[in-house]
Amino acid sequence: MAHVSLAVRLVARTFAGKTNSLSCMTRWFFSLSLFAAAPLWGSDTLVDRGAYLVRAAGCVSCHTNPDDHDNGGGGFLAGGRALRTPFGTFFSPNITSDPQYGIGQWSDDDFLRALRHGIAPDGSHYYPAFPYTSYSRLRDEDIRAIAAYLRTVKPAAAANLEHVLPWYLWRGAVAVWKGLFFEPAGFSIAPDKDAEYNRGSYLVAIGHCSECHTPRNRFGALDSSRFLAGAKDGAEGESAPNITPHRSTGIGKWSVDDMVYFLETGALPDGDYTGGFMSEVVDDSTSHLNNEDLKAMAVYLKSLPAIHNPDFAEKQK
Amino acid sequence: MKFILKSLPLLLFILPALSVADEAENQIKYRQAVMKAIGGHMGASALIVRGKISHRDQLKAHADGLLAMSRDIPGLFPEGSDFGETEAKEILWERWDDFREVSDKSKTSIENFVKAVETGSEDDVVAAFREVGKGCKGCHEDFRQKHEHNH
Repeated sequence: MAHVSLAVRLVARTFAGKTNSLSCMTRWFFSLSLFAAAPLWGSDTLVDRGAYLVRAAGCVSCHTNPDDHDNGGGGFLAGGRALRTPFGTFFSPNITSDPQYGIGQWSDDDFLRALRHGIAPDGSHYYPAFPYTSYSRLRDEDIRAIAAYLRTVKPAAAANLEHVLPWYLWRGAVAVWKGLFFEPAGFSIAPDKDAEYNRGSYLVAIGHCSECHTPRNRFGALDSSRFLAGAKDGAEGESAPNITPHRSTGIGKWSVDDMVYFLETGALPDGDYTGGFMSEVVDDSTSHLNNEDLKAMAVYLKSLPAIHNPDFAEKQK
Repeated sequence: MKFILKSLPLLLFILPALSVADEAENQIKYRQAVMKAIGGHMGASALIVRGKISHRDQLKAHADGLLAMSRDIPGLFPEGSDFGETEAKEILWERWDDFREVSDKSKTSIENFVKAVETGSEDDVVAAFREVGKGCKGCHEDFRQKHEHNH
């Protein structure tokens, strides 16, 4: 372990203050030194890795429509799921390999632009309901793996639905919003932390936990000063609890094991079971991850600053 | 006096309505108390099944408790208990047959858990308990909406 962090520190010093083109290189180098040490996503082929990453990044819940009860649920990754938010109702698109209705014709570069920059192949901007704000942290090679996997997903001839939004949220407004609130961040490794922490940090980032668990300002941008401190009035009118280690308003009393068990099963330490969106997240995403990765996420979450959030004070008995 | 007499018909009209509202509130309170009892047995069972504590001899009691409390979950959700301080979603009553089906499945999974605790291997117990948890989570996924408090 020591040699890894030493290598990271050395590289960090070497490239500190250098320009963007170099940051790609540092990212590549970091990923070699840090991620290569652990079995990478527990599998070896590009497609398998992509399949695992699609679970880890939580793509399935939104891109598969669970509400299509008459048809026993929509096709896998065929979109059409309504996401009701304070800003309007978004319908997820079809991301199966269908060349006409899905994204079967996308190149790797199309994936890179979509996930890192929030830009569609036709050049239009995606609404940030598609969490590229988080996916911009995905490493290039992971985006390529996701692309490789999605090309193998059974095509579904399901046409995309139009979002239902107020008049002022036309696509052009998204460009302004992105100018103000979005920077394609990439993932930066914390050189003073170990591989488990960094892996957890990466998984929490691409799992886009903060899209629900961090409160937003009135423009819908995340308030990073209250990272994962819980948010009321989220999508579908659900609130997302404080998952910082605050003892009375967050999950400070949970052990790492409790967190792993929760992400695996949806069971809370008091015997209750999660519901709503989070049970979809457990079903479609976290329960598919290996224990090492869940533990990394838990270790990372435990290390966050504890933030008090009166909205999630313990219920009066 | 005159005032009371005059308002009597109005009172007669209001009182039954009040008691109906009261009854709904009590239904909701009972439902939440039963759910808490189920949660208590689930939480206790989880600690034992996960090997966090050693009260293995108590597991049967918890499993039996779960079964007793979940024999008729739909019975906890009578018509009219959909307003007031409830976390049950409207859709529970709109899709009643689906709700009944998942409740029945949950009950079956709990019966299997009881059997596993009585006669199964430790692996059977772990697997059966997982199935019970899936029932809880599946139902909460579709039919419960948490508001502003923990989890």
